[in-house]
Amino acid sequence: MSINAILALTLLVLIAGGFYVGRSRAMTASRGQIANLHSLPNYYGYFVATWTGLPAIIVLLMNAFFGQQLADRLTTAQLTSAARDMVSAYTVQLEDDASYQALLAAAAQQRSVADQLRSDINTLRRARGEARDPARLDMLRQDRLDRVNLLTATETSLENRRQQIASELLATADAETSDTARQSQAGFILATASASEAELFATDMRRIADGDLPSRDTPVLHSAAQLLVQTENGMMRILSVIVLALALGGFLMARQNVGSEFRARNNVEYLINTGLFLCSVIAILTTVGIVASLMFESVRFFSEVPLQEFLLGLQWSPQIAIRADQVGQSGAFGAVPLFAGTALITLIAMVVAIPIGLFAAIYLSEYAGPRFRQIAKPALEILAGIPTVVYGFFALLTVGPFIRGLFGALGFEDVVTQSALSAGLVMGVMIIPFISSLSDDVINSVPQSLRDGSYAMGATQSETIRQVVLPAALPGIVGAVLLAVSRAVGETMIVVMAAGQGANLTANPLEAVTTITVQIVMLLTGDQEFNSVKTLSAFALGLVLFIITLIMNIIALRVVQKYREKYD
Amino acid sequence: MSSITKTKLKVRDVNVFYGEKQALKNVNIDIADGSVTSFIGPSGCGKSTFLRCLNRMNDTIDEARVTGSIIMDEEEINDRRLDPVVLRARVGMVFQKPNPFPKSIFDNVAYGPRIHGLASTREELEEIVENSLVKAGLWNEVSDRLDDPGTSLSGGQQQRLVIARAIAVNPEVILMDEPCSALDPIATARIEELIDELRENYCIIIVTHSMQQAARVSQQTAFFHLGELVEVGPTETIFTNPRDQRTQDYIMGRFG
Ligand SMILES: Nc1ncnc2c1ncn2[C@@H]1O[C@H](COP(=O)(O)OP(=O)(O)OP(=O)(O)O)[C@@H](O)[C@H]1O
Ligand SMILES: [Mg+2]
Repeated sequence: MSINAILALTLLVLIAGGFYVGRSRAMTASRGQIANLHSLPNYYGYFVATWTGLPAIIVLLMNAFFGQQLADRLTTAQLTSAARDMVSAYTVQLEDDASYQALLAAAAQQRSVADQLRSDINTLRRARGEARDPARLDMLRQDRLDRVNLLTATETSLENRRQQIASELLATADAETSDTARQSQAGFILATASASEAELFATDMRRIADGDLPSRDTPVLHSAAQLLVQTENGMMRILSVIVLALALGGFLMARQNVGSEFRARNNVEYLINTGLFLCSVIAILTTVGIVASLMFESVRFFSEVPLQEFLLGLQWSPQIAIRADQVGQSGAFGAVPLFAGTALITLIAMVVAIPIGLFAAIYLSEYAGPRFRQIAKPALEILAGIPTVVYGFFALLTVGPFIRGLFGALGFEDVVTQSALSAGLVMGVMIIPFISSLSDDVINSVPQSLRDGSYAMGATQSETIRQVVLPAALPGIVGAVLLAVSRAVGETMIVVMAAGQGANLTANPLEAVTTITVQIVMLLTGDQEFNSVKTLSAFALGLVLFIITLIMNIIALRVVQKYREKYD
Repeated sequence: MSSITKTKLKVRDVNVFYGEKQALKNVNIDIADGSVTSFIGPSGCGKSTFLRCLNRMNDTIDEARVTGSIIMDEEEINDRRLDPVVLRARVGMVFQKPNPFPKSIFDNVAYGPRIHGLASTREELEEIVENSLVKAGLWNEVSDRLDDPGTSLSGGQQQRLVIARAIAVNPEVILMDEPCSALDPIATARIEELIDELRENYCIIIVTHSMQQAARVSQQTAFFHLGELVEVGPTETIFTNPRDQRTQDYIMGRFG
């Protein structure tokens, strides 16, 4: 059995024991009369058990989250300190290396020239009136570009020279095969290699230590991994001691408190409160985290593509910009066709869903007999339970060809299977139960007294519904519709399958269009570099989507709330 | 007094069933025009049920069944062939809890006239609304805020608004089911005053749990008990010299 399992088992036993001890101590203190206690005996048990288990569990959780990282850090630190001698030898060599020093001086000089040019450009750019000189500005810019390219070249040679010296040093050191020598070589690699090299080395070290397959397997890596295993074992021993000490300490402290006067019940209450609070904090923090990452990535996107180009541009073709250095010139990131496509499909869906859903709700709540209701309501709920992907292929395989056939027969040319119309229609069907069940609730919650008042005035049923029930329910219905819209805007599956992917800017529902959500899917499911503008644009689209839905939901909730207040 | 005025409603052998359960048994009563009749009796004895027979509101309850004859001005109203929608324009109703519609004060009062087409021009409609509000004693308080929602009024004002709404269609009979039970004494006094003023032109029937109120506003009182109409007669007689032991017990507060 691993140390981990033993530790967990011991902890469980201690917790159970804590419960038992707390309970029986309370029983003793009660002198046979439970009424003598402040709280029921079980509460004392919970109290002691919690204090035994909770701090220890928190430490275990922290270890689970950060333990590996900590072990990596500690090992890296150890390795690099072992490599101190090698690193200083390396520094000395660099200082003595004439060509390296020459390159260094050249780079410094080029950098200062480039900086000077930049400040000149800035001054000239801000200049107004007489001082303006666009031609000179262009020239300066061109000049600066050349300088920067030169500087980049010099820096590459610098890096190459550094690597060369480092690998020469390593080659001489390779003769020594003791573990300490190998570990100092590992530290040397970690300290001097480029960032990505060092990271790769660390990952391989971790893999070997965990018994996974590394990308490379050298004796140096093995020694480093051995050190990592040692460190982890040491940490595990310390962790066990801490956990057991915490459990025992908590147990003793809590047991000390148990007495007939002790308010175990309130204490347990407090602990439960705290637990619930933490859960809600986690929920909120997750939301904040997701929104923050959306924002962060979007800001990166907008530093590459201007905001107005994104919001107002009429051309969406991110496919061309595959490599990072192609950015800006080749990909077009005008999102208007996506917004228009989303709006068109949502509009079609709403035109289908609002009347049908609302009238169904009115019929169900006002006219239908109890027997029909009994069948119809569950049927609608089943409709709501169909996975959207099923709607999607329904749209693609049934509705799409039907529309093509129908409009083809009517004399329209080039009607395609994947059209905004078929996606919108099917999405509308999907949303019907959403609107009808929400509206049904709202209509049912209009007080009967209002209906009676209207009937007593001599109004017929349809007059009553039109003039009293619906106006009273209107805010709630509006709320339901807004929630439905935000659902339609965020719906992906149906549109991916049924509306096509062409970013056409069109109001013709028979053409293929694409939506924000579909494009996000397309952008992120491809095989490409994560940092490219193409991927970043998905975050910007996500942010837009989030803002739209947020606004809809806020308005909807406001409206619904206002409506609630009026009749409660 | 009752000998001078003519009979507005003649009720004979009315029985009401909710499903299997009988809520009213053989009710016979004559209700005079131009006067106020109050229904009293312990809770659940069938007062509201009987009131709903008089404007066929029991039709809106699926399981309710009404038998017997109710004659209003020589016309049988408990008859499937009679359109309840037309009847209800002639027999207005005010409920226990004020229930203004979610509309403006003006539209609340104009509701009946509009659905029954009582006004052909906007001016006529405005006149009807104003008259009704004046009769209901609410005009002075709301004349400058007719566009505010009806629900923004106080409880007592809402109840007077609902009365104005009922009289806007110029009914012959007004049924009031505990119209003051949700109101404070001052608002109650106003409504009672109002009932007294309206009496001359309408036949008013009011259900009340307050003996004092019945004594103050009504000329005729009917006592219901367990679905039976136990005793009916001039209010004074009922309160000072009841014939039936149950009436006496109820009035003395011995049960109910
Ligand atoms: N919609 C209904 N369905 C079934 N039974 C009903 C219904 N309405 C009333 N009843 C029954 O009919 C009887 C008379 O009820 P009703 O409402 O007429 O009493 P009430 O005299 O108005 O009482 P209260 O003074 O409490 O208002 C009661 O037993 C009640 O349970
Ligand atoms: Mg009642």
